[in-house]
Amino acid sequence: MSLKIQPSNVHLIEVKLKSEFNDAEGLAAMSLLKEQGLSNLKEVRMGRLYEISGGLSANQAHQAGKDILCDAVTQEFRLVPASPAPMNGMNFWRVEVWLKATVSDPVGATIVEAIAEGGLPKPIAARCAMLYLLNGRATSAQVEKAVAKSLANPLIHRVVVTEAHP
Amino acid sequence: MSNLTELPAAATDVFPILGKSSKELKALSAARHLSLSETEFLAIQAHFKALKREPSLAEVETIAQTWSEHCKHKTFTSPIRYVEGKKTRSIKNLFQETIVAATMAVKKPWCLSLFSDNAGVIAFGKKWALAFKVETHNHPSALEPYGGAATGVGGVVRDILGVGLGAKPVLNTDTFCFGRPDYKGPLPEGAHHPTRTLRGVVAGVRDYGNRMGIPTAGGGIWFDDEYRLNPLVFCGTVGIMPQWAVKKEVKPGDLIVAVGGRTGRDGLHGATFSSANIGANAPSSAVQIGHAIQEKRVLDALLAARDKKLYGSVTDCGAGGFSSAIGELGANCGARVRLEQAPLKVSDLDSWEIWLSESQERMVLAVPPKNLKALEAVFAAEGCELAVLGEFTKTGRLEVMHHASVIVDLDMKFLHNGLPRVERSAVWTGPSSTKVAGGIAKKAGDALREMVGHLNVCSREWVIRQYDHEVQGGTIVKPLQGVRHDGPGDACVIWPHAATGDMEDFSCFAVGHGLNPDYGRIDPYWMAMSAVDEALRNLTCVGADPARAALLDNFCWASPEDPKQLGALIRAAEGCRDAAKGFGAPFISGKDSFFNQSKDEKGKDLAIPGTLLISAVAPVPDGRKAVTMDFKGPGNALYLIGRTNDELGGSLYHRVLGRAGGEVPKVSPAAAIDGFKALHAAMTRGHVLSAHDLSEGGLALCAAEMGFTGEFGCLLDLDECPRDPRIYSNETLLFSESPSRILVEVKPENESAFLRHFGKSAKSAMVRRVGQTTANPILKVTGLEGSTCLEESLKELKEAWQTALPRVLA
Repeated sequence: MSLKIQPSNVHLIEVKLKSEFNDAEGLAAMSLLKEQGLSNLKEVRMGRLYEISGGLSANQAHQAGKDILCDAVTQEFRLVPASPAPMNGMNFWRVEVWLKATVSDPVGATIVEAIAEGGLPKPIAARCAMLYLLNGRATSAQVEKAVAKSLANPLIHRVVVTEAHP
Repeated sequence: MSNLTELPAAATDVFPILGKSSKELKALSAARHLSLSETEFLAIQAHFKALKREPSLAEVETIAQTWSEHCKHKTFTSPIRYVEGKKTRSIKNLFQETIVAATMAVKKPWCLSLFSDNAGVIAFGKKWALAFKVETHNHPSALEPYGGAATGVGGVVRDILGVGLGAKPVLNTDTFCFGRPDYKGPLPEGAHHPTRTLRGVVAGVRDYGNRMGIPTAGGGIWFDDEYRLNPLVFCGTVGIMPQWAVKKEVKPGDLIVAVGGRTGRDGLHGATFSSANIGANAPSSAVQIGHAIQEKRVLDALLAARDKKLYGSVTDCGAGGFSSAIGELGANCGARVRLEQAPLKVSDLDSWEIWLSESQERMVLAVPPKNLKALEAVFAAEGCELAVLGEFTKTGRLEVMHHASVIVDLDMKFLHNGLPRVERSAVWTGPSSTKVAGGIAKKAGDALREMVGHLNVCSREWVIRQYDHEVQGGTIVKPLQGVRHDGPGDACVIWPHAATGDMEDFSCFAVGHGLNPDYGRIDPYWMAMSAVDEALRNLTCVGADPARAALLDNFCWASPEDPKQLGALIRAAEGCRDAAKGFGAPFISGKDSFFNQSKDEKGKDLAIPGTLLISAVAPVPDGRKAVTMDFKGPGNALYLIGRTNDELGGSLYHRVLGRAGGEVPKVSPAAAIDGFKALHAAMTRGHVLSAHDLSEGGLALCAAEMGFTGEFGCLLDLDECPRDPRIYSNETLLFSESPSRILVEVKPENESAFLRHFGKSAKSAMVRRVGQTTANPILKVTGLEGSTCLEESLKELKEAWQTALPRVLA
């Protein structure tokens, strides 16, 4: 298990569908993961992560999340704290799929421009990731293997698997 | 020296090659992913020995990408010693002797640009021109299906932006070859399952094309397990441009201006990587994620600048990046480049990386200095970056500097003409036997039900619906047709009014394809002939003028260093030559992709079947008279154009039965083009209600598709089919895949007028009334003996046809 710790000038914004909405992307991801052997999965919810470097204070990052990165009707967002709380769920997994640093991130590049056009200071850089929240019995190794075969490509992606709160 | 740690890191570093043995040079090539052969490296060594100096790293990298198979098409242009049976002959230049020779023989005045630019260009009316290019992006798509396919689309769109002074993309086409999605066998470490490749490739094409606002309305998919490690991804784009913009010219003194995306470390060694087998050590930098919005900005700005005539020439940064783009633009004059001016994604790039990077969404322009300010304003208005990298010169040299260092100083003549020509060997032994063997006989109805649900025939709606094929509002004949908009169209018809701005001119164009690797397993010559025939009859079916058709070839093959593979390639190229001459249809562009082979799970080489995609484009004189393939009503006459022979070799029927052997379909171009022209004449006079070509599955499958798409049935009488009189089998007449055949629906009152278009051949074997449409949605066929040999519910056939692909993907 590896934890991701952000420096103070880097903000990690998490955006996902509100729980009352059906998550079609999550369902599709669950189907792919089950094909790879995670047959005990009960639910997968999907979201996006935006790592924004430089330029923004915490309040400004909050505003970017609220006004630019999140659709307030269907989605919710939060700033992921720099030091995540201890995790406790054996059956809940958080999977982050990031593009490797050597791979271009067009969505990240667009977000840098969008934040600047939204009236906030222009960040130095932004990277985005797909977030999968898995509910179901599995081991870390099983999750990593299934993700590498279905939701990520080890050639261009870096995958972070951590235990998560339910 | 073969240790990577001993290799130079900086572009200005000397790359010592003088005095090294060929073995050492080969090791150097492998260590740096240069894909240079020993002979090529020895030629470089000799060049620098004459100069009495060592090359720099950047110079060797520049030469390697310029001489790559991707850029120089060495297989098609090298001399070959070809053995066919007991005959041996020499081929000096396969490309010139087949594709180019046929095009020159055909001599069509409406061909405006052939083989010399980023795409082929033909006239479209008096004012406009159509540019068409189909690229392959196989190796990147095998490694990263989403990114590889998306950048494949981005690359071919830039080819269209970089042809002449730039054309506006109005259509994307995409054809794929994959392993079967239900493949259950083992795969080597790191290989993607075919289902994952399919999903990723389709998503990549969808996202890039849709976001750029270009309709994706043509293409196809072929499944065969021999593609499981090497999928083929053919991305095509058609663009439209004013005829005055077809010519381009670089003048000494013009500024070298880079526009679009920034340069990063991504995409290094793409050109040289595509000239090698895919292996576990493929560089991750050979794969990129495209930025469609960035390319859309480039598109809008570039076309605005074109219309203001602000630049004299343009090309895209594809394989080889600046090195290739600037090297090609300055090939006839010279270029001096200052790399420190290039906008970068990251600041720690080495100079050779800036020079060679294949970062996407970049173009290079040749701009007269007086136009620079105006050009800057146009690009700034679209939020698109622009940088002056240097100027074109009269020196005949490629000079590249980074800050105070000279990293490249090469003679353009050596760079572009110094590639040593090495004779290769090729062998063709012909098919072992045409005798039909093996398999289990099935009733015609059972076979047909299996065939409509076969992966190479079934509905592609799951894929097509992901693409926006309506954007720009000009897709007149759509990929899905019929009363429920879900039947299989032959070709798409595009009315490019959004680009021309002329709502009174109904001139359209159609794009069709032909591909069948199963024929190539028997004889690649007839595969090529059939592919051309199929592409042209698809065009004819929708109302395009077959006499104005232009062709594109895309050869995808395994290693040409294997004489048998090269022999098969020659057969296919000669088939293309004879088809182009026979049909009077010129080739205007093409592409080849080699080394489509990989180590399988047992470490053995798994090669793809030799694959040829023929794409064809032709004008539809009046889009309002375009025709779709669905039956339009009951009681109409059905005519079969073309003769049926006993040609079941490589057919879907044999595949379903598990049979081998048989005669591969053979094309007679003269008779075929006569039939196509006559049908086109009938269509232009409104005498045809629907038309559909007979391809995989033959007459039975063609009639079934027309029936279930229009929701009308039909009665067919096999005894009325124009045929080889030696055929006594109903199954042969139902399922033979003899080429050049089209089933046509005609109103009873128009039958005489329809037949008049066929002249004397109407009374010969070329066209015959073989049945009629019915209100009851049943396909009923009377056999040669006079009794019913096939009676199937079209509803059930359609269900089998529609559910096959979703079922295997579920």
